[in-house]
Amino acid sequence: MKAAKTALWEFVPHQHRGPAQQKGADDHIRSPRLHNGAFRAGGLTTFMGAPYCPPDRKAIREMGAKVCFLGVPWDQGQIVRAGTSQAASGVREASTQYFPYMFEYDVDLLTFFRVVDCGDVPTVPGNNKKSHDYIDQYVTECLEGGAKVILCGGDHSLPIPGARALSRFHRQGRIGYLHVDSHLDAGPDWAGNKITNCSGPARAIELPNCSANNMAHLGSRNSLNPKDWWDFYVDNDIRVITMHEVVDRGIETCAKEIFETAWRGTDAVYFSWDTDSIDIACMPGSTSPECYGLKGREALQLARVAGMFGADVFEIVELCPYFDVSHMSIRMGVNMIYHYLGSRAKTLREMGQKP
Amino acid sequence: MNPAKSYAHLFSPLGGDAGDNYRAPNVLTFLRSSHVALKAAELKKSGARYAFVGVPFDEGSVGKPGSEDGPREFRLASQEYFPYWFEYGVDLHGTAVDCGDVSMPKVSPDVARERVYRAVREVLKSGLVPIVCGGDRSISIAAAKALSDHLGNKKMGYLHFGAHLDLADSWAGERNLGPCALARITELKNLKAANVAHVGARNSMNPKDHVDLAKKRGLRFHSMFELIERGVYPAVEEALDRVWTGTAGQYLSFNFNVMDASAAPGVTSAEPGGVESREMMRIADMIAKRRSISVIDVTELCPVFDVSGTAARLAVCVVMRIMAALAKERGEVIDASLRRTDLLKAARGKRK
Repeated sequence: MKAAKTALWEFVPHQHRGPAQQKGADDHIRSPRLHNGAFRAGGLTTFMGAPYCPPDRKAIREMGAKVCFLGVPWDQGQIVRAGTSQAASGVREASTQYFPYMFEYDVDLLTFFRVVDCGDVPTVPGNNKKSHDYIDQYVTECLEGGAKVILCGGDHSLPIPGARALSRFHRQGRIGYLHVDSHLDAGPDWAGNKITNCSGPARAIELPNCSANNMAHLGSRNSLNPKDWWDFYVDNDIRVITMHEVVDRGIETCAKEIFETAWRGTDAVYFSWDTDSIDIACMPGSTSPECYGLKGREALQLARVAGMFGADVFEIVELCPYFDVSHMSIRMGVNMIYHYLGSRAKTLREMGQKP
Repeated sequence: MNPAKSYAHLFSPLGGDAGDNYRAPNVLTFLRSSHVALKAAELKKSGARYAFVGVPFDEGSVGKPGSEDGPREFRLASQEYFPYWFEYGVDLHGTAVDCGDVSMPKVSPDVARERVYRAVREVLKSGLVPIVCGGDRSISIAAAKALSDHLGNKKMGYLHFGAHLDLADSWAGERNLGPCALARITELKNLKAANVAHVGARNSMNPKDHVDLAKKRGLRFHSMFELIERGVYPAVEEALDRVWTGTAGQYLSFNFNVMDASAAPGVTSAEPGGVESREMMRIADMIAKRRSISVIDVTELCPVFDVSGTAARLAVCVVMRIMAALAKERGEVIDASLRRTDLLKAARGKRK
């Protein structure tokens, strides 16, 4: 069979087209020449102004995309206040206030990763199981398309279908699972329901190729943590780095430790990051925000460490623009992703690798 | 497992009649505790350690109004939490009761203050620790007097967290307003200046007469700059030493404007340049190490200015963390071998 010609991933944001089209290949990483361009121009809002790609393995492979942004407007899998279904559109909107170029890593995220926005996963109101099946299916398409996934929730039941998809994709190998959160989230069930936002790690450990040795939790604090959640880590001997320990030892050291744990002898890692790990003062727009959390700068340090190690699915959940102030939470959401990608790009470049 | 006691509240809900949703209470009380009438005999009978008393009083405020909604918001925020604290291995269920709010007459501040005084005295008489939730800072005057009279001849200690010194001898001729709180309290007979500490003063809502009065009365205050320069914990440790040395009872008074405005926007006078939430959590632990507290008050919470429940949740976490850390200090840790599966098995057995 003749090698299929890869349709080139092309970045011409819709905002740049039309009578005043800016034609320079690098226009998107420089100050505007003719007009404001993609920066803050509404147009069709995609994450990072990236081109749309249908969430279909063939299309993704043909475009050569290496990072897919996938929104999940789902908030009926959780026990706290609703509103996180609006998160992906919040992140997309906040991303129009940034350039895809990051000076800290000297990289153009868009072209380096050929980022695409795959739109949102469809969900079924009132049916957590069906919605989870769709999430599983859409994440699988992205992975099969040869891309890593930025999964933007949505409530914290997401890792249940998300990690299931990753586990199946790597069924010949092993996966690691990381949970960064104010809450331990390890209930065997919640009033009999096994797939809520309080059971991510409890379901992950049941996956055939994910063992306790490759799981870790970071950021736990305060008392929205019933005893069975704590017992899960004690009984399964899973490393928990509490907020107390983060403050004592520093975020970089602790972040490195959890990623080393997840990558020890594994082929892929699922990184589940709850926005309430960040202090309520820096992240008011979250569904169950907590005091005594990571500072803004520590969240970005964590993103940077994550980029050094990498993750096959990088998931952000429980972001809730309703409760936001001055866009600080959705901007933080964008920066968690951008610093992760920037650091990932720098790391790959230094290793002489491509995404 | 002690079969006589239910442990279901430690764990995720089992479902069915046992309750599905921790956020859907029947009545709004502090940490879903029982309501007990504010009578010493009934409080004693409850077997609890803390009595929550709301004081929706706003008429001692000289700044922005709104703190009368403090108690309701505090209760609401407390419902976001479980009584179990994994960081200490303790269970706060049943350790507190809620006495509701002290009835406020409106436009008769003297009557209101008298009622606050009587309420706090009544709780102290029962042997429980009052958690008094205001309301503006002026309620500390009546509540501290109640502790002072309760202690009689025994010595008292007083710890004041806040951005403002509250040392106005009078304010526009009034002597019992919020900014007069520390001025009145330091006049209590059994409270010596050596046993008073103020932590967190900063910025310019501290007129000159406040500082002058502090000097005149020999009051030591640890300003925010002192905390930054010396380190928060050594300065606070010194403050705690003053309050707990040789005293029979200690009054702990919080205005959460001691926090940086970003960590507690929902207070009547949020101030920049304050304490961070992680620092306050350690301070809570340090307080608990002293092993005794007679009264805790929380004042000036102001929900209309809050953002996403930030200040209310912080206030709840600080108070509950002190309770949890104290329980651990007393060795009241729960049996670590308790498991949710045991409950499920027991429930199945009963059904047969």
